[in-house]
Amino acid sequence: MLEVNGLTKHFSSGILQKQHVKAVDGVSFRIKAGTTLGLVGESGCGKTTIGRLIMRLIEPTDGQVLFDDIDLLTLKKRELRKIRPRMQMIFQDPDSSLDPRMTIGTSIAEPLKVHGIVPKHERSQKIRELIKTVGLSPEHVNRYPYQLSGGQNQRVVLARILAMNPDIIIADEPTSSLDVSVQAQILNLMKDLQKKFNHTYLFITHDLDVVRIMADRIAVMYLGKLVEIGETHDVFGYAKHPYTQALLSAATRMKPGAERKKQTLLKGETPGPIDMPSGCRFHTRCPRKKNRCMIEEPELVEIKGGHHVACHFI
Amino acid sequence: MSSLEIIDLKTHFPTPDGHVRAVDTITLSIMENETFGVIGETGCGKTVLGLSVMRLLPPTATIAGKIRYAGRNLLEVSEAEMRRVRGEEIAMILQNPTTSLNPVIRVGEQIAEAIRLHQGLNKRDAKKKAVEMLDAVKIPSPAERANEYPHEFSGGMKQRVMIAMGLACDPALIIADEPTKGLDVTIKAQIVELIQKVTEKKAMLLITHDLGVARELCDRIALMYAGELVEYAQIKEIFENPLHPYTRGFLGSLPDQGLVPIPGISPSLIELPDGCRFHPRCKYTTDVCKQKHPEMIEVAEGHFVRCFHA
Repeated sequence: MLEVNGLTKHFSSGILQKQHVKAVDGVSFRIKAGTTLGLVGESGCGKTTIGRLIMRLIEPTDGQVLFDDIDLLTLKKRELRKIRPRMQMIFQDPDSSLDPRMTIGTSIAEPLKVHGIVPKHERSQKIRELIKTVGLSPEHVNRYPYQLSGGQNQRVVLARILAMNPDIIIADEPTSSLDVSVQAQILNLMKDLQKKFNHTYLFITHDLDVVRIMADRIAVMYLGKLVEIGETHDVFGYAKHPYTQALLSAATRMKPGAERKKQTLLKGETPGPIDMPSGCRFHTRCPRKKNRCMIEEPELVEIKGGHHVACHFI
Repeated sequence: MSSLEIIDLKTHFPTPDGHVRAVDTITLSIMENETFGVIGETGCGKTVLGLSVMRLLPPTATIAGKIRYAGRNLLEVSEAEMRRVRGEEIAMILQNPTTSLNPVIRVGEQIAEAIRLHQGLNKRDAKKKAVEMLDAVKIPSPAERANEYPHEFSGGMKQRVMIAMGLACDPALIIADEPTKGLDVTIKAQIVELIQKVTEKKAMLLITHDLGVARELCDRIALMYAGELVEYAQIKEIFENPLHPYTRGFLGSLPDQGLVPIPGISPSLIELPDGCRFHPRCKYTTDVCKQKHPEMIEVAEGHFVRCFHA
């Protein structure tokens, strides 16, 4: 359904000395219709950039994005506009995703108007329906975003998205600004909506606990590259890449139910994407690094049905 | 012996729309060498609690009750004395180090400033001490890093600087407000480990919404809801035997604990519900919950709950 091949984005900065930031470097994955791929990584790894590239909010340097066998990256503006309603995006901060001067009803009506999806006389009926689908009540229609809580506003954002009846939803940290009890409401709603409308999700997050319950498959990203991808069960249960293992171990330390035991913490920090390490990008922090890792960049290799890892020593 | 004792603290903010009862009758005490966690969601008043202890509130705030520290009530000491207390006796580590550091002053100087003011060291010695502090929080090549500006530090490194600054004058009590907010998991784990190490012989009030972090650091934790504490006990007891419906709901809404949300939203601190403040969202609500406000009761040794049905 959605296929990404060798997606690459290089940003350049500086006037005299051009520096290149390889934000996304040859990323490939596929998401089956009606399933969720979780894209996990720490800040600055390029996960948000991937979401934006797929939507063509920024133009890629190289690569292919196939959506029902149409290459989105070669589409002209007008063709792209036609296909956009079928792909929607949810952002981290619901409060800044909504126009503060528009009532909730107007906000939801806008995409219906712009894309001429629902005739004018049916619009208010449609809005009431959407409001109900996302668990808000009809009296919210005339309120403004500031009168609603963060969780309620995220529901409004979802209603706006549902208005377009999309196939693919790219969710970029949709709950990271919400409290846990509210986060649970939104995640459950997203799961219900997926079941009902057979949405395909690309779920971008840094939160391993969240992705674990949301995603069918998980891709782990480090400095612009995928280091591991596989079924959720395999990635969590049989993580092979040292970075994935470190992420999981750092996260389980925090987990309320987990044993309080000493685990090996990852030393140091993620290097800047400008002075990218040679060879394997993770070698500067890797507990298992050998000489080969500093010279040769590992490829993603399939180790078991659908479970790919990019490491020389697995 | 207790290090900090908060008795019937009420911090209210009068606004045109009514009184915001951010902290509404909180009583707690923190023992020496103990880390006490206050857990709560956005807008429950937990940050105001920390700021009340430091007396860092806007002048419009009204504070009542007692905050006993080292034999005196901090709410009654003079502003000059309070200035000495801050940093020297009680230090605060804030969330969001990026906005807490001055962007145009070198990192080393910012730490040295506190040392010069409180310990009366000269410029050179203070600078030396600042470098030592950076080294203590594991900043590589501290002498060079001390001469850099905050923008040259990453988020995790800045948080280390904040911790170094807080510890510079060797305070006996630390108030840490969401010290790991916004950090990546691998970095968060490093900072938690660092905080654990440097506060071993100190008392700490840790304010956070992150149960995982609290579990790593705290001896006891309290759950705060709508301006008041609803339950507190030893950390293990809270996880194994949570009694208040809010505590249970909070634990149950965690992604790895079932993801069962608490229905509804937290009340506004201006119009608090009558009776038990949690009753509109509670599934065990009976008539008494709607009419009477429950008191904190001790249900087992050291385990306190504010609920009629506990």
